[in-house]
Amino acid sequence: MSYAYLFKYIIIGDTGVGKSCLLLQFTDKRFQPVHDLTIGVEFGARMITIDNKPIKLQIWDTAGQESFRSITRSYYRGAAGALLVYDITRRETFNHLASWLEDARQHANANMTIMLIGNKCDLAHRRAVSTEEGEQFAKEHGLIFMEASAKTAQNVEEAFISTAATIYKKIQDGVFDVSNESYGIKVGYGGIPGPSGGRDGSASQAGGCCS
Amino acid sequence: MQEPELHDLSDDSDYAASQLQQQQELKSMSRTDSGKKGGDNEPDGAEIVFVKDNVTIHPTQFASERISGRLRLIKHGALLFMTWIPYKEKTDCTAQSSSSNTKLSERDRNLYTIRAVPVTDIRSIRRHTPTFGWQYLIIVLSSGLAFPPLYFYNGGVREFLATLKQHVFLVRSADDANVFLVNDFQDPLQRSLSSLELPRAVSISNSSSTPTLASSAAQNDNSERTDDGSSSISQYGGRHGQKVHDPARDLSIQVLEKFSLVTKFARETTTHLLREIQNDGFLANDTKKQSQPLTNDNHETGLDDAQTVPNEISVTPDPLENTLCRKENHFKEAATRVGTFELVDSKEFDKLTLVWGQPRQPPLGSEEWATFLDAEGRILDSKSLRKRIFYGGLEHQIRNEVWKFLLGYHEYDSTYAEREYLASVKKADYETLKSQWQSISPAQARRFTKFRERKGLIEKDVVRTDRSASFYDGDDNPNVTLLRNILLTYSFYNFDLGYCQGMSDLLSPILFVMKDESESFWCFVSLMERLGPNFNRDQNGMHSQLFALSKLVELLDSPLHNYFRQNDCLNYFFCFRWVLIQFKREFDYEKMMRLWEVLWTHYLSEHFHLYVCVAILKKHRAKIMGEQMDFDTLLKFINELSGHIDLDVTLRDAEALCVCAGENGAACIPPGTPASLPIETELLYPLQDENDV
Repeated sequence: MSYAYLFKYIIIGDTGVGKSCLLLQFTDKRFQPVHDLTIGVEFGARMITIDNKPIKLQIWDTAGQESFRSITRSYYRGAAGALLVYDITRRETFNHLASWLEDARQHANANMTIMLIGNKCDLAHRRAVSTEEGEQFAKEHGLIFMEASAKTAQNVEEAFISTAATIYKKIQDGVFDVSNESYGIKVGYGGIPGPSGGRDGSASQAGGCCS
Repeated sequence: MQEPELHDLSDDSDYAASQLQQQQELKSMSRTDSGKKGGDNEPDGAEIVFVKDNVTIHPTQFASERISGRLRLIKHGALLFMTWIPYKEKTDCTAQSSSSNTKLSERDRNLYTIRAVPVTDIRSIRRHTPTFGWQYLIIVLSSGLAFPPLYFYNGGVREFLATLKQHVFLVRSADDANVFLVNDFQDPLQRSLSSLELPRAVSISNSSSTPTLASSAAQNDNSERTDDGSSSISQYGGRHGQKVHDPARDLSIQVLEKFSLVTKFARETTTHLLREIQNDGFLANDTKKQSQPLTNDNHETGLDDAQTVPNEISVTPDPLENTLCRKENHFKEAATRVGTFELVDSKEFDKLTLVWGQPRQPPLGSEEWATFLDAEGRILDSKSLRKRIFYGGLEHQIRNEVWKFLLGYHEYDSTYAEREYLASVKKADYETLKSQWQSISPAQARRFTKFRERKGLIEKDVVRTDRSASFYDGDDNPNVTLLRNILLTYSFYNFDLGYCQGMSDLLSPILFVMKDESESFWCFVSLMERLGPNFNRDQNGMHSQLFALSKLVELLDSPLHNYFRQNDCLNYFFCFRWVLIQFKREFDYEKMMRLWEVLWTHYLSEHFHLYVCVAILKKHRAKIMGEQMDFDTLLKFINELSGHIDLDVTLRDAEALCVCAGENGAACIPPGTPASLPIETELLYPLQDENDV
C-alpha cells in the first residue's frame, strides 16, 4: 500500500506494563490478555491518515526486562516516535521512567517524539500513580501524555495518532530532513512528499523542538 | 570440462590395454628419471611421462566394488594431462562376477574415468597416508570438482608428485604438508611471491585479518626444506598450531573435496571419508579461489556495482553454492556425453541449497533405545547414542528418559538403581530448596524487595509462556503453577543469576516432557549450567555467542559477512532471540523439541546452534543482500522467519557447514562460549548487579 510517509515507532517501558497489548489493540483492535512475553522485539504496522495523507506506522515492540536493555538500545536508532509506557497500578514502573528516558535521549535521535502513556487506566481501583503525577512528569521532560487502556482501547488510537500528528507537524515545520532516514521517517513512493523545507533547516533546530 | 585433443587416445581403455607392455617399461623409467624419455610413439606428439597401474577408487565400502585402473601423465606440447582409465571389468574381478548385485556395472565403472585433464586445471592435491592401508590422493580441480580418492595399490604417490613437479609449479601448502597446490604462474613476480609464501602473499588483498607480507615472510624463516629438496616448498608451524583465518582459503578446498565427483552410491563413502579428513585438522590453500574474496574487496573499497548502478544489485555468490552450481553443470555435461548415468541427487541440486549433510533419520524409538542399555541400565556407547539422536532425534515417549542424559542430569554410565536413588535424593533436595521461598512470610516478604520483585516477574511471565499449548492453557492451569514454582526455586538455587525473561521459555518444554516438578527442576538446572550466561545481566554470554557467530559467518560466507559489516549489522542482534532461547520461538513445539535434543547431543559441536544460525542466514543470503536490507529491515525479516524455517533442511545444512568449518570453525568460538560449560571461576555470575531482579 502506498503511503506518503513511514514513521518508525518504538514502544518502551518496564516489563508487563502492556506494551504488546497496546500494539495489538492498535493494529488488530483487540485485547489479548494471554500472549507470550516479548523476547527481543516484535513488529506491528498500521496505516493512518494525517492531514489527508496516508501514513504508515511501523511499530517496534520491545522486551522490557532490564537485562535486555543493551539490546533494546540498538532499536532506538532511526525511530521517529516512542511510546514510553508505565502501568498506573505499579508504582515502580513509573519510578523507572527516568532511566528509560535517559536511554531514549542517549540512543535515539534528538528529535524523536515521545508519548508517555499511563496504561491500564481501566484498573482505576488499583491505581498507584495519579494522573497528575503522569502529567507532571511529561511536562517536566517535554513529553506528550495520555492515560490509556489496552484492554478497553481507551485512548489507544489517540496515543498513536497524536504522536504521528506531532511528527508530521515537525516535518511541516522543517525540523526533519526527510531524506535522511536516520530520523525514522521514510518518504513513500505512492504518496505526496510533504511540503517540508526541512532539507536545510534540520540541524539547527535539532533538540529544540520537543521541549 | 575441457576435452583436449588427446581424447581419442586416453579415454579408450581397449587402446590403453593394448599399450600395456610398452607403458610398463615407461613406468620404470618415470619412477627414477624425469620421465621425459619414452612415449615417442604417442600420436600427435603426446608423451607419457608417468604411468601407474592398480590405482584404484573405492566408490563404496564394498571391496567388490572397487575399480582399479591406470593413472597416467601425458605431455602434449607444452601441456601436461592426467588420465585415469579403469580396467575392463573382466580383467579385474572375475572372481566375483556371480555376485552381480553388489558389483558395479560397466557403465558405472566408466563413470569414474578421468579423461585427459590438463594439469593446469588442478588446483590442489592432497596426499593421505593412513596408518593402515594404501596411500591415496584427492585431486581437486580449480573448476570446483574433486575426483574420488585415488588409492595407489602399488605405491607411486611420491613419484607421481615428483613427476608433476617437473612439469608444473607445485607448492606445498603452508598449513598442511600433505596438500600440494598446483599453479601455472606466468608472472615471474607472482611466482616469486608464491614461492615465498603463497597463501599469505595472495590473501593479503582479501582479508583484513591476514598478516602482512613482511610478517609472513618473517614467519617463513621457520620453513623447512622438504624431503625431496625443493626450495619452493615452505612449511612452517604445526598442523595443529596457530592458524591464520583466511576464510575463503581455509575452507574452499575442504568444500571442494566434499563435493567430490561421485555418484549417488559413492557419495556416502566420500562424505564419511572427508569427515575423517576433517579430524586430521585439514587445512589447505588455493589461489584460484581467491577471485571470490577479491570481489568482496570491491565492496569494501566502495567500488562495488551497487554504488554506481544502484538499481542493479548483484549479490556476491555464496562460495559454497557457487561450487555446487559448477558441480551441477558438470554433471549435466557428463550426462550428455556418457549418455545415461544417474545424476547425483539431482533434485536436491535443483534448489541450489547446501543440502549435503546426511539424510535425517527417523527418530529413535523405545525398542532401539533399549539396545543402547545394558542389563543394569548403563549406556555403554554414549557417542553412538548421541550420534543416533543427532541424526534423528527422539520419539516423544522416550524423551523424558533420554533428555536426562542429554542434559547431563543423569550420567551415561549410571545404572537403573543409581538413577532411581538419585531421583529420590534430588527430590528431597528440591523440596528443601523450594521450602526456602515457601517459608517466607508476608511480613518477611514486605522487607525483602528483591524476592518480591523476582516473584512478581516470574508470576507475570509464566502466564505469558506457551499459553496457546494445551498443556499450559486455560485459567488456573496447574502446570503454570509448576513453572512458577520451579523458576522461583531456581532463583533461590542460583540466587546470583536469579530470574530473567527467556528462562520460562527454556523450562516450558522440559516440564512438558518430564511432567514431574523435581525432575524438571534438575533438568533445567543442568541446562542452565550451559545456558545460564545467556541471562547474565551484562549479556556477556549472549555477546560472546553473537561474536562467535559473526566469526563463523566470516569463515563460511565472507560475502555475507562483508555485507553485514557494510550495513552495520555485525552485532548480530537480529539473531538474538534465536540464540537466547535456542530457537524456541522459531519452530512449532514438536520441531523445537527435536532441534533441542539434536543440539544437546553436542555430537559435532557444543556450538551447533551457531551453525544452525549460519545455515538459516545462508539460506536467505540472496534475499538479504539482494534487497539490500538494512539493520531494521533485516531484524524484521529474521523475526518473520519464525514458523517458516524447514528444520530438517536447516539441520543438514548446519551439519555440512559444521563439518566444512572443522577446526577453523571451532577456532572461531572462544573457550567458555555458551553452550559450553563455563570455565570454572570463583564466581559463576560475577557481574550481577545488586539491583538486578
